[in-house]
Amino acid sequence: MLQYRYDSTFEGFLCAVAHCLAEGEEPELFLRGSEEPAYQLLFDEVTVDIPTDLQAALEFRQSFVEAASRQVFASARYAFHSQQTGVELLLWRYFKLGLRVGQRLVHMLADSDVNAVDRISRSVAHQAHKYLGFVRFREVEQGFLYARIEPQYDILCFIAPHFATRVGDRPWVIHDLSRSQAAVYDLKKWRLVRDVELSGTPDFTAAEQECALLWRRYFDRLAIEARRNLRLQRQHVPMHSRRHMVEFTDL
Amino acid sequence: MSTLTLQQRLEILADSAKYDVSCSSSGSNRKGVAGGVGSTKSGGICHTWTADGRCISLLKILLTNTCLYDCAYCMNRRSNSIPRTALTPEEVVRLTMDFYRRNYIEGLFLSTGVVRSADHTMEQLIRVARKLRLEERFNGYIHLKVVPGADRLLVEEAGRYADRVSVNIELPTRESLQLLAPDKPRDALIGPMRQLSSLILTSKEERKRSRKAPQFAPGGQSTQLIVGATPESDRQIISLSEGLYQRLGLKRVYYSAFVPVSSDNRLPALPAPPLLREHRLYQADWLLRFYGFSAHELLDDMHPNLDMRLDPKTDWAMRHIGQFPVEVNRADYELLLRVPGIGVRSAQRIVRARRNARLSEEELKRLGVVMKRARYFITACGRYLGGISLDGPELFSRLTAPARRKASLDQLELFPADSDVSAVTGEL
Repeated sequence: MLQYRYDSTFEGFLCAVAHCLAEGEEPELFLRGSEEPAYQLLFDEVTVDIPTDLQAALEFRQSFVEAASRQVFASARYAFHSQQTGVELLLWRYFKLGLRVGQRLVHMLADSDVNAVDRISRSVAHQAHKYLGFVRFREVEQGFLYARIEPQYDILCFIAPHFATRVGDRPWVIHDLSRSQAAVYDLKKWRLVRDVELSGTPDFTAAEQECALLWRRYFDRLAIEARRNLRLQRQHVPMHSRRHMVEFTDL
Repeated sequence: MSTLTLQQRLEILADSAKYDVSCSSSGSNRKGVAGGVGSTKSGGICHTWTADGRCISLLKILLTNTCLYDCAYCMNRRSNSIPRTALTPEEVVRLTMDFYRRNYIEGLFLSTGVVRSADHTMEQLIRVARKLRLEERFNGYIHLKVVPGADRLLVEEAGRYADRVSVNIELPTRESLQLLAPDKPRDALIGPMRQLSSLILTSKEERKRSRKAPQFAPGGQSTQLIVGATPESDRQIISLSEGLYQRLGLKRVYYSAFVPVSSDNRLPALPAPPLLREHRLYQADWLLRFYGFSAHELLDDMHPNLDMRLDPKTDWAMRHIGQFPVEVNRADYELLLRVPGIGVRSAQRIVRARRNARLSEEELKRLGVVMKRARYFITACGRYLGGISLDGPELFSRLTAPARRKASLDQLELFPADSDVSAVTGEL
């Protein structure tokens, strides 16, 4: 029984995959960070700790893209960030299949593994797209724009580049509360910071309160009463995503 | 006017702007510049949805709701007694920048009532856009309304700053316009639309030759038609849309279910806005743009109006039942698109998937085909999945029987991972 422990990053996972391929081993479980297996196994298990080596990850990426395609690699990356239980084993099979069938992988949507990866990746990409719109920056006294999100999937790395080119004239932080991580932009580039904890509540500037209130009023007035349809609204902006959107919070 | 606070004026002008349905921020793709503010994404981004389920993408606002004209369907008509107010160009610029930086919006959609003259009004709109682009170096989305009757040079200038431009036709026929909007003859609307269309085309051609050629409204032009205020048939509306898409190259025609905003006796008294009809028109519009249908296939003298019980594609398929069932493993892409329950996305995926595998019912489900409708119109590996005789009366009752979702809920989703997302969602 072989299980592999990696540091929970995508790069770390690629290293684990590359390791298994190089050693000709068949993994039965991947463990994220300090995660323990959900159930006790009957047999003695061997845990292999995989060090994350960016170079090795890039090399694996390169070889997979050359064998299959850029597009299917992107699908795998999106699917990985769903952080669903068992997604690693699914991706392990996906990568192996891709290395075997090559360019055909992209068309094999009728295959159940390929279809599952495709479905999960679209779901993650869809949520990432929605959050390009849902992020709400608030101006804080410390002199930057601060946004909080609690998405279902780990989408921060997909949305941060968008904001780095869009809101380029102010430093900003997008804080993923559910994963204690943040994307931090310093006017030059953005980086991902893990294990972020807030030392206190952020103080919003006076201008921020005013601006949020204007937006709130504008938002309320824009709905046409004769077309009222809260169910439709809920489909587009699910309740769980409203927590940090100023137009849905009491100011 | 000066006694009102910014917040009050914003509220009044939001009220006055909300009946314009265009919301999209799509069709233009521009990367941000380092250290600058703003970028655009060709698929558009929605930022939030109001209590009526409509998306907000742009700060949709009027510069002023004072208007010379007296169009019966319009909330801002001269004879309506509503509070009148205005924002200064500086205020609009500040609101846009403040909202944009906080990621409330994709950009600005600026419209206005007509004051003094068409030229003067157009100049005011352009002033805002110019300030945003040149002084604030704003690189986000700008949609400018073009005022009918404005000088050609002003129209040209508007398109240099705007991503999208629009002139609203509002009413589908000359007669209806004459009746409800006597100040706006049809030619005063079509004229600027023609000019815009040729400017957009020329600029595209020139940019093919040189990347440095100036852009003109890269997001194209759109328009809006009010549905249900006048007696036109769906056939007249859809034929008009087809003409606008084909001859003037419009990106979008929006349909707006008429919401009674006055008790003018020239207008019908509707108990509620015709939302289902609006929805069917959008479905028909999608069939024109992405499914290879033409207007005369969907509607003709015998069927001048869309069936409210069935979506237009199913309705078409029922009237051409002889062409079905089709074999999903062999049918051309164009034919697959005509099968009810198979959309652009599932048709593309069927074509991809069948290169490697024979598709049976299970695979089709996996690919996202809506089997509830599609099963009656296809065979998979030679097997008919409908289980009924296609020429009998049962098909209609089966297709209409189950509790259907409310029509207004049927919106397409955005999946940015797909390369041709715009073709699927119509966010153009």
